[in-house]
Amino acid sequence: MNTTKLNPNRRDFLFGLSASLGSVALTDMLQAQDSLGPLTPQKPMHEPKAKACIMLFMEGGPSQIDTFDPKPKLNELHKSESKSTAGLAGGFRFYVGSPFKFRKTGQSGMEMSDQWQFMADPEVADELCNYRGCQAESLNHPEALFHMNTGSRLGADPAIGSWATYGLGSVNQNLPGYVVMTELAAPQGGARNWSNGFLPAHYQGTRLRPQGSPVLDLQPQSFKDRKHQRRALDELAEMNRRHARLHPEHKDLEARIENYELAFRMQMSVPQVMDLSGETLKTQQMYGMHNSETAVFGRQCLMARRLVESGVRFVQIFAGGWDSHDYLERGHTSRIKAVDQPMAALIKDLKARGMLDNTLVVWTGEFGRTPDNNRRGGVYSFGRGHNVDAMTMLFAGGGVKKGTIVGGTDEIGATAVENVHPIRDVHVTLLHLLGLDDNKLTYFHGGRYKQLSQFGGEVIQEMIG
Amino acid sequence: MLHCNKVIFVVVPLCFLGMTPVFAEPNPGEELFAIKVLPLLKQKCFQCHGSGEDLKGGYDLTTRMGLLKGGESGEVSVIPGKPMESLLVSALKWEGYEMPPKENDRLSEQQINWVEKWIQAGAPWPDAEIIAAYRKKAWGERVTKEGVLVDTSGGLDDEWTYRRYQAEDIWAFQPVVKYEVPDRSHPVDYFVQAKLHDHDFELAPIGDPKVLLRRAYYDLTGLPPTPFETSQFVNAWRENRQQAWNSLIDKLLASPHYGERWGQHWLDVARYADSGGYSNDYERSNAWRYRDYVIRAFNEDKPYNRFVLEQLAGDELADNSVRERVPQANSVTTARRSGSYNQQEAEWLVATSFLRMGPFDNAMVLAPQARQIYLDDVVNSVGQTFLSTTMRCVKCHDHKFDPIPTRDYYRFYAAFATTQMAERPVAFLPQENQINFESEQAHVAVMLKNAETQRNIVYHKQETAAQAWFAERELEYKDEGARQKLPDDKKPPRHVGLNATDKGRYKVYKQDVWIWPRRQERFQPMIQGVYNGMDDPFRYPGSRKLRIIEKQDSQWQPASFILTGGALEAQGDSVEPGVLSGLGLPVRSDLSNPYLLPNSINGRRLALAKWITDDQNALTTRSIVNRIWQYHFGQAIARNPNNFGGKGAKPTHPRLLDYLTADFVENGWRIKRVHKLIMTSATYMQSGQRSDLEKLQQADPNNELLGVFQPRRLTAEEIRDSLLAVTGELNPEMGGLPIRPEINMEVALQPRMIQFSLAPAYQPSPEPEMRNRRTIYAYRVRGQADPFLELFNQPNPNDSCELRDSLTVSPQALTLLNSDMMTDRSIAFAQRLIDERETLEPQIKRAFWLAYGRDPVKSEMNRLKKYVNEMQEYHRQVTPGSVKYPTEITRSLVEELSGEPFNYLEKLPVFENYNADAKASEVAAETRALADLCLLLFNSSEFMYVY
Repeated sequence: MNTTKLNPNRRDFLFGLSASLGSVALTDMLQAQDSLGPLTPQKPMHEPKAKACIMLFMEGGPSQIDTFDPKPKLNELHKSESKSTAGLAGGFRFYVGSPFKFRKTGQSGMEMSDQWQFMADPEVADELCNYRGCQAESLNHPEALFHMNTGSRLGADPAIGSWATYGLGSVNQNLPGYVVMTELAAPQGGARNWSNGFLPAHYQGTRLRPQGSPVLDLQPQSFKDRKHQRRALDELAEMNRRHARLHPEHKDLEARIENYELAFRMQMSVPQVMDLSGETLKTQQMYGMHNSETAVFGRQCLMARRLVESGVRFVQIFAGGWDSHDYLERGHTSRIKAVDQPMAALIKDLKARGMLDNTLVVWTGEFGRTPDNNRRGGVYSFGRGHNVDAMTMLFAGGGVKKGTIVGGTDEIGATAVENVHPIRDVHVTLLHLLGLDDNKLTYFHGGRYKQLSQFGGEVIQEMIG
Repeated sequence: MLHCNKVIFVVVPLCFLGMTPVFAEPNPGEELFAIKVLPLLKQKCFQCHGSGEDLKGGYDLTTRMGLLKGGESGEVSVIPGKPMESLLVSALKWEGYEMPPKENDRLSEQQINWVEKWIQAGAPWPDAEIIAAYRKKAWGERVTKEGVLVDTSGGLDDEWTYRRYQAEDIWAFQPVVKYEVPDRSHPVDYFVQAKLHDHDFELAPIGDPKVLLRRAYYDLTGLPPTPFETSQFVNAWRENRQQAWNSLIDKLLASPHYGERWGQHWLDVARYADSGGYSNDYERSNAWRYRDYVIRAFNEDKPYNRFVLEQLAGDELADNSVRERVPQANSVTTARRSGSYNQQEAEWLVATSFLRMGPFDNAMVLAPQARQIYLDDVVNSVGQTFLSTTMRCVKCHDHKFDPIPTRDYYRFYAAFATTQMAERPVAFLPQENQINFESEQAHVAVMLKNAETQRNIVYHKQETAAQAWFAERELEYKDEGARQKLPDDKKPPRHVGLNATDKGRYKVYKQDVWIWPRRQERFQPMIQGVYNGMDDPFRYPGSRKLRIIEKQDSQWQPASFILTGGALEAQGDSVEPGVLSGLGLPVRSDLSNPYLLPNSINGRRLALAKWITDDQNALTTRSIVNRIWQYHFGQAIARNPNNFGGKGAKPTHPRLLDYLTADFVENGWRIKRVHKLIMTSATYMQSGQRSDLEKLQQADPNNELLGVFQPRRLTAEEIRDSLLAVTGELNPEMGGLPIRPEINMEVALQPRMIQFSLAPAYQPSPEPEMRNRRTIYAYRVRGQADPFLELFNQPNPNDSCELRDSLTVSPQALTLLNSDMMTDRSIAFAQRLIDERETLEPQIKRAFWLAYGRDPVKSEMNRLKKYVNEMQEYHRQVTPGSVKYPTEITRSLVEELSGEPFNYLEKLPVFENYNADAKASEVAAETRALADLCLLLFNSSEFMYVY
């Protein structure tokens, strides 16, 4: 895939963040072209396990110790002095035991804190692969977010979803290949987390905005109706066609005309995919949409399923609030509550529809948390600092090994000690499951073939089913 | 300075010369193995197939036996004498196995050929002594058919030091040669035509005068010509083409808008922004002074070598000047503290903000790491910006393709080892525009006051509860700060008396109380600059205003090392400050250490800057000329202007590049001269059309022959500026505080996470004349791009942008049709037309002249009249709703510590006295109908492209 697009061909201009709605005219144009357009489905590099990926990104850094990686030893050490020098906070540090109880769930005995109610359902738990060996590098949120999302801490490289769509294209030309949903507030570092970086703009993540217009300026001004817009477009097309006739040398002009038609059709297609009224009440309730605590994330998870169902390649949902430096019990309780039911529903729903086998679901943060804390505001504060040496991730579907725990941390959860891999290996593994080889999924930029892992990495074989 | 490319420095001891070889008769197979194959195996294979622990596939390539035998698959890998049957060869060709597996490491055909030949020769593997002898013999020859040696300060191993380069890969490291151009030939056309002739083509004919006029206007000013200027030029052209064209170029080069357009190019490369990015996205409160410095430099045609010198070492120039001017012992320290500089010195200091342009925020990074992040960024940025050289990869290893050893990276790095960031007092210059200082300052004061009031409410609630707590226990009340140190049982719990919402608000308002005073710094006579001094490992340099450390230990010396693999803790050889040795341009005549810079605290960076701006520095001089060419033609002569290395594109017209470079240097590094030379060529004046276009495009699909002028889409800034120019709204005021145009309101008010809190909402400037200035003056926040500009490929300021993209994506169509901004502009345009012409036909005609510089043809006029009439019908039936700007918004946020959601109110006082643009509800149906037409013009390809 070492495409150097110095002179993008005409097709490149056709596909934007969203592309055609399968119009006859466009199909004709596609057939008339000899080369493939940027979002046209591409053959994977090897037999893929997953066709699509849904990444649930827990911004702020969920604590491994209080979610899926029990550390009873810490409860013994609770409030005793810690001599750890990890992280940045100086001064007196003390251990913090988990406020939650743990139990084994499902046939496979997946370990979870008792806050997880829905994920503990054996039907869900036994689908999970819990990876405990990943180590991050950056202690600071945006750099760590950039690293997990783009493979680089600098915030200028393509996101993993961009690489996936670059490698695989999109099955449905009616929708963007890579869709991002966030809370009202964008995560730290903002759109750099789903940017196309040096890849062509067609591969950037399209953020479906949680409020207001899902795509900026999607609809005409309120005093202009659709007929008005159609009339304007016809007139514009006439002007642009005349201009194109005068400039036969300028190849972009035809594509630009078609682009306006695509935009016009997007005004229908985007609201359609976002309209959940066709989903049964039971489905909506399963995702927790009836409950204010789970409504936002539930809606997004359901949307994610719909998007993948319609052929979107990569969906990311950012859910924040995990940065529990203090008030760990309250904070993690409320965060877990917000995602537990929707996530479990997503996995079950995908399974029920026969989609889980080829849809990879990933749950991760940008780093993990420390077993100890420093005093804040002069008092013992029961929270945890940032930890790059240990974290926890969940995977489900898409060819991962079900009901397994891969890797491990030391007895207090301070650092990964077993099956330890850097973030790049997780990325390489994700691409591998999608049928892509990180070493071949390259793009020539700035004097070298660039790849998601930067300089190569390895597949974490133990995770592969 | 002496150019030493031909002089051999004995940098790396060539002690083997004259030794007796241990082999009697050289054996070609053995020699090939020693010189080519073994180094190749080492470089490409041993990492995974070496004798280390992590042997892949059980295949060990480090011995002949292992190599022949193959891996755990059991298949024999190499059959001596039979390369075609050897598994290794097919793997290297990526037929069957694909080795090495990384695209970047794939072997070239030539390299595979070496392996094949070697196997053919029986795969001989002589002993180490013989190998060494072959290699030493090879290293003695400077030029062989395998390539040339380049003298450098030396790589991490001999393999690298003595590797050979293909001449075409190191073209940029060779001295500039000025080739002869026959008298009366235009040098540009001479070289371009020569290449076209080689392919049996001629230049395209000269373009139409209106097309050329528009091309020149956008090229030099980023704005369209007015109808008056158009007719004037067309008349002048009719009388005397050459004179008309020459005086047009002179006029445009003298226009102050020239600096705004070309300054933008520079800011793209330098990564200009008004904030620092990352977690906090702190204000770079005085970055605007650097932006204006750049615009002035272009307008004044400041010699480029001065321009570079000032940006790299303006503070040293100022220090030296102060030292001369004020002969007291501590004059430099005093001046640094008080900012008492003369105007020249102040200008120099403003220029050094270049060294502060990168994204930076070391909150939550340890000081040594933060320092490394900063210095790596500066080194890389200086390399890319001035030398068109990528340095980032040399941080960890010797350059894979270019003659730059990692030693030189750390020498370069050491040149900045005494460079410290600081917010420095520097008085405003008379040429710096201080317009709107008062109103902007008042705005910040209001925002600060709001924040304080809100914070105090929550604080009061907390302290009331605290007082009660103390009183209950009959303890003495201590306020929040004072009770910090008390033991836990002697003080109330943290956030006593506050519920989750209060706690969240407390944090947000406290953060605001901290954010707004920083924004007051914008009005202070201050710069984001640098100074030379010692490191202070104890300082937390991230968040607060960075001050100059006055107490300096004059004996202090930074310790500089090669950091192996780029890791701070892996100190390798110690290094002294120095330059890129591979260029062969010495700093000093001391032949034992020609590439070293002074290692005093002061002077190292200035000496580096002088080396970079040396007349003989082939990288610097070609770099800027190549960039200038690129902005005129949309493509550079060497098409990767940030990378002249072996992996960058080779120049299409190397002699032309060298000619222009030599001419540039001979004539005092003046950029305007290069513009004039380029723009007066027939090459530049070519039409975009020609009768044999298809044939040409077949022969030359990437226009490397330059046989036609390529159209280009307007840049993001040009689109906005042109809209304002055409509607008559553009305020040509130059420079000063960043302006805040109206941006998409959903984005302006959308919550944006920063560390601990949400960033304050974006509030536009209250008056149209404040908003409607050129886009280069718009407030540029790394964490919040203007979505309109971003959509049209305004680059991400975290990365140096050598050339903008102009891809067409469908959201562009949506925004151009539907956005508030476009709607407002189309109404403003309609109002202008109605003001200036009474009836529809003249209005349409005027619109065409303003937007396109031409008359509508009859069919256009008829269609559009019909369209406007229909739209009048439509709009008479519709009553648009009025537009309201919110004066406050309720924001919701999840409290990051407790994970609990809460709401808070943010005031938007700008909208209390906001002078909005005319909205649809405020204008007549006729105006709205005409605005519909205006919107079409703005959406049309004719408006969007320059030919």
